[in-house]
Amino acid sequence: MQLTAYIGLLFALLVSIFTAGAAAWAAWKDREDLKPLVEYGNIATALGVVFSSLILLMALAARNYSFLYVYEQVDNTLSFVYTLTAFWGGREGSLLFWELVIALGGVVYLYSPSYKALGGRTKLYFWAVFMTVQAYFLLLLTGWSNPFITLSPAPADGRGLNPLLRNPGMIFHPPLLFMGFAGYTIPAACAVAASIAGEEKSWVKLTRNWNILAWVFLTAGIVLGGWWSYMELGWGGYWAWDPVENASLIPWFAGTAFMHTAVIEQRRGALQRSNVFLMCLTFLLCIFSTYLTRSGVIESLHTFGESPVSLPLVLGMAAWLGLALVGTFMGEQHVKRSLSDFMSRQGMLVASAWFFLALGFVVTLGTMWPVVSKLWSTESVGLGPDFYNRVCLPFLSLLVLVFAFCPWLGWRGGIRNTRGMVIALAVFLGSGGSFALMGVTQPVALLGASSAIAACCTIAMLFFFYPGMRTSLLSWGQYGIHLGVAFLALGIAFSGPYKTEREVLLAEGETVQLEEYVLKFTEARQDATPEFRARLTGTLEVSRDGEILGVLHPEKRIYRNFPRQQFAEVSVIPSLGDEIYATVLGIDEGGKVSFKISVNPLVNWIWIGGTFMCVFGFLLLRRHREVLEPNDR
Amino acid sequence: MAKKSNKGVYIVAMLLFLGGLGYLIVSGLSEDSTYFLNVSEALALEEGQFNKARLFGKVSPRHLERAPGSLGADFDLVDKVDGVNVLRVSYRGAVPDTFKENVEVIVEGRYDPARNVFVAKSLVTKCPSKYREQSEAMDREKG
Repeated sequence: MQLTAYIGLLFALLVSIFTAGAAAWAAWKDREDLKPLVEYGNIATALGVVFSSLILLMALAARNYSFLYVYEQVDNTLSFVYTLTAFWGGREGSLLFWELVIALGGVVYLYSPSYKALGGRTKLYFWAVFMTVQAYFLLLLTGWSNPFITLSPAPADGRGLNPLLRNPGMIFHPPLLFMGFAGYTIPAACAVAASIAGEEKSWVKLTRNWNILAWVFLTAGIVLGGWWSYMELGWGGYWAWDPVENASLIPWFAGTAFMHTAVIEQRRGALQRSNVFLMCLTFLLCIFSTYLTRSGVIESLHTFGESPVSLPLVLGMAAWLGLALVGTFMGEQHVKRSLSDFMSRQGMLVASAWFFLALGFVVTLGTMWPVVSKLWSTESVGLGPDFYNRVCLPFLSLLVLVFAFCPWLGWRGGIRNTRGMVIALAVFLGSGGSFALMGVTQPVALLGASSAIAACCTIAMLFFFYPGMRTSLLSWGQYGIHLGVAFLALGIAFSGPYKTEREVLLAEGETVQLEEYVLKFTEARQDATPEFRARLTGTLEVSRDGEILGVLHPEKRIYRNFPRQQFAEVSVIPSLGDEIYATVLGIDEGGKVSFKISVNPLVNWIWIGGTFMCVFGFLLLRRHREVLEPNDR
Repeated sequence: MAKKSNKGVYIVAMLLFLGGLGYLIVSGLSEDSTYFLNVSEALALEEGQFNKARLFGKVSPRHLERAPGSLGADFDLVDKVDGVNVLRVSYRGAVPDTFKENVEVIVEGRYDPARNVFVAKSLVTKCPSKYREQSEAMDREKG
């Protein structure tokens, strides 16, 4: 079976190399009659990848431990759904999943109206680039990262999945990220192809839906990762600026910057070269992200382990960068138009893109600093969370502030609606003053929170002043996403600097005060179940001003299959204001139980905001004929 | 077409923006940088040089003392690579669930030369994406 699956990948590799070569040659020689051959090559490649993926999926479902990959990801106790999701659990499988999504995307794109709208030469160049990317991934899969290695003799049981990862959040988090990464392949290949072929139609418009989908998936993946970390790991945080977390954020910043500059090209035809470059950069950073996670170049909290794919990944990035530069600077641009005033909606869109790129640069620099600093220092010097918070948070706050006022500017300059602008300014200053009186004294948190309130107010006023927006899905989509960003900013501004936490050791009946909340430890219970070898549950009664708000039941578990490892089960009293959060740390000989308790103000607005960003993102998807109409609302 | 003055405004805005970014990055680099060291590298440093460091290593099974109720631990941190060099670490705070002997940890804090102990203010165990250690050990045996 392993050999059959491997041959499937090998077949796909050979076909993709051949197809890429044929497409490049046909484009060079203007042989558009070869297009059908190239298109069939794309389908054949996808068939090979799907065939091999199905074999892996069946091996996982059957717990066939003669596959080394299955042995490493699955064991006999794992529930069925997690045996299937182990497909993207390890390095080899996740790369295969990535390539599978790219291959399927290529087939879907082939039959989409936006592909049909491209000129003949552009199509050929597109396949040349797209199939080269596929060939590259297939080369990794057949060489350095082969998921079909045989284990002989086959063991009776596998090594299994860590209980921390047996969580619904973990089912969706990795594939969403990879779907985001894979989704950027088509617009990126299209950007290079359109630029080199001198395509008259706008590739930005034609690949709009791919971009939006990729962005939504990537956003959802990142937000879900943060939520999982907060709810499952029990350390009380959702973002540690760890290299692996940063890795997913870096392409997101580039993709988001592109989303803003793409609007300008769609409406005015300006920034064409910048957009080709940004699109290529986003795709490049997706590979870079994988390089960061899988190469072991940076010490991280996440043990993915070092792997042999680092060098091929670096070479792949270098090759793509070369291609991107060719596409950016050698391509023909049909319309040459410059930007309007800086103090206009266009100017602010450009400024936002600068902010996003700067954030991406800062996070990249910070993550790679241990490597960079080695250039002049004998010891490697790294940067902790303080660095990122110091540099990134002011920029994020300013971004929200820009958004709060940008909609009131005219598209080409001047103020579109003075009343809106004045009210937004008044709300910004008013909420800033109120927060300051409430004791929010950290300047960045104050700026971020008041900008977020002003942004929410701006969105509400826009829908009030311009009734036409209420019936436009596009407006709902755009402003829904930005409302999500404002909520997210509000959540971060409060839950970051104003979180309070304590670690306490309590005997039954003892109380502890945290902010205005009193937590009383009422009982500790120890039991065992078929699933748990041992379980310790600590019950905490939470009250404020004598009124009971709720009861927390954090647990400490030892699973039967993982006897040497303890797991914390977080318990929270959810709230849109202060969320009370508790984990059990342990129990001493005298029966005293130690807890970690924290009050996380407004933390749930982060998840609400993230959800808004993803859900409203779908409203931006538009039918092909709508996209090609000039949009000058 | 845009006016000439436009470009000037964009350039000034860009310069202001880059100035702010540069200032934040430089101040961040000067104040928030931390040595990232393996145990053997840390031991090779001069005493005064690592009053702020992040150390990577493994928890030695010997001399592991836990504070009551998992509110702290004193342990020997062993170099991951050579497995010989050891530095005593004292940590007070919530000990992560995954903390146990032979596990890889990252501690951040200062070295106290008087007690010859690294006083950690944070202790994280590596997030176990997979139990890779066995397979890595197998790979090493294969050469």
